[in-house]
Amino acid sequence: MKTNELAARLTSKFGEGILGVDEFPGLLGRVRFDAAIASKLFHTFRDDLGFAHLTMVGAIDWIDHREVFYTLWSDADRVYVMLSANLPSDAPTIASAVPVWPSANAHEREAWDLVGIRFEGHPDLRRIFMPEGYAYHPLLRSFKIHEPEDLEVKVRSE
Amino acid sequence: MSGQTPLPAKVPPASAGPSAAIADMPLEVIGQPGVPFVEIETLRAREFIPAAKEALTSLLKEQANGKLIRPVFNWAGRNSLFPLHWGLACCAIEFAAAFGARWDAERFGVVPRSSPRQCDLLIVNGTVTWKVAHKLIALYEQMPEPKWAIAMGNCATGGGPFRTAYSVVPGVDKLIPVDVYIAGCPPRPENLLDGILRLEQLIKERGA
Repeated sequence: MKTNELAARLTSKFGEGILGVDEFPGLLGRVRFDAAIASKLFHTFRDDLGFAHLTMVGAIDWIDHREVFYTLWSDADRVYVMLSANLPSDAPTIASAVPVWPSANAHEREAWDLVGIRFEGHPDLRRIFMPEGYAYHPLLRSFKIHEPEDLEVKVRSE
Repeated sequence: MSGQTPLPAKVPPASAGPSAAIADMPLEVIGQPGVPFVEIETLRAREFIPAAKEALTSLLKEQANGKLIRPVFNWAGRNSLFPLHWGLACCAIEFAAAFGARWDAERFGVVPRSSPRQCDLLIVNGTVTWKVAHKLIALYEQMPEPKWAIAMGNCATGGGPFRTAYSVVPGVDKLIPVDVYIAGCPPRPENLLDGILRLEQLIKERGA
């Protein structure tokens, strides 16, 4: 399958939900999609296109919006593909990929912990690196290193 | 054959071993001559603890202000520091080497223990993250008094290269009181031994 074939198949199925399919070095393509169709798109990629393996979930804070991306691997075609969605900074919410690929569990917890992406339908969306009750998402651009004394008070009060 | 006299009935049969006979004896008899070795050892150990306790309590009663007995406890305590066997990061490798054959910290009476309830020394050997900070405090609070803490290496002393990271405690003295700081990244086992000996000196001077 080529990138333009993938683009044609996805656009015929989802229409407006697919914002674009770009060429990307080392990948079959980079699919930019609307967060509203996330769950259906995941099922399509796993069941119809054969991408059975989720390699990683990542997130970036672009200050005016946040991006969450998924890298998938197809054993049949031996090719990677990347899915990418832009989320508004004030409500960064997207459907969880855990029902489709269980390996997304820890990756989504990490994206929630560090960048503050909310994954709807995640079975156990707790922090994974920072202590429970920590108030910040430290990989956001707005995060400042706090005085140790502030954090000390925080740890002791828990 | 007919002239042979029968054995006297009083002699116990040979099959009954000494332990069977001892089980029936009253406690006072055990430990007398003729009783097998193992039981005597057990009895001695059993009797030793009350005897030592009695001796110590009489000493303490005589020395109500503790002038005589406190230096003894200080001497015994500082020469048998038991650190907690708790490894955090790469300093734990040096910590392990210090108790190996080459450096052999045990010759100073320093024996790592697995439970904080058996320890009087917490050696924080590595980077402490905020995630593990609760556990560190809990371990320290489980140790019985009197207790001491050593911050081993740059990370435990002041956060090391991760001082400005969002996830790392910049110095373990933000969490627990620390008596001795050891610099190094990681410190060599000699440095750790030096720190332990300095702590012994500190305990001697404080008289705790």
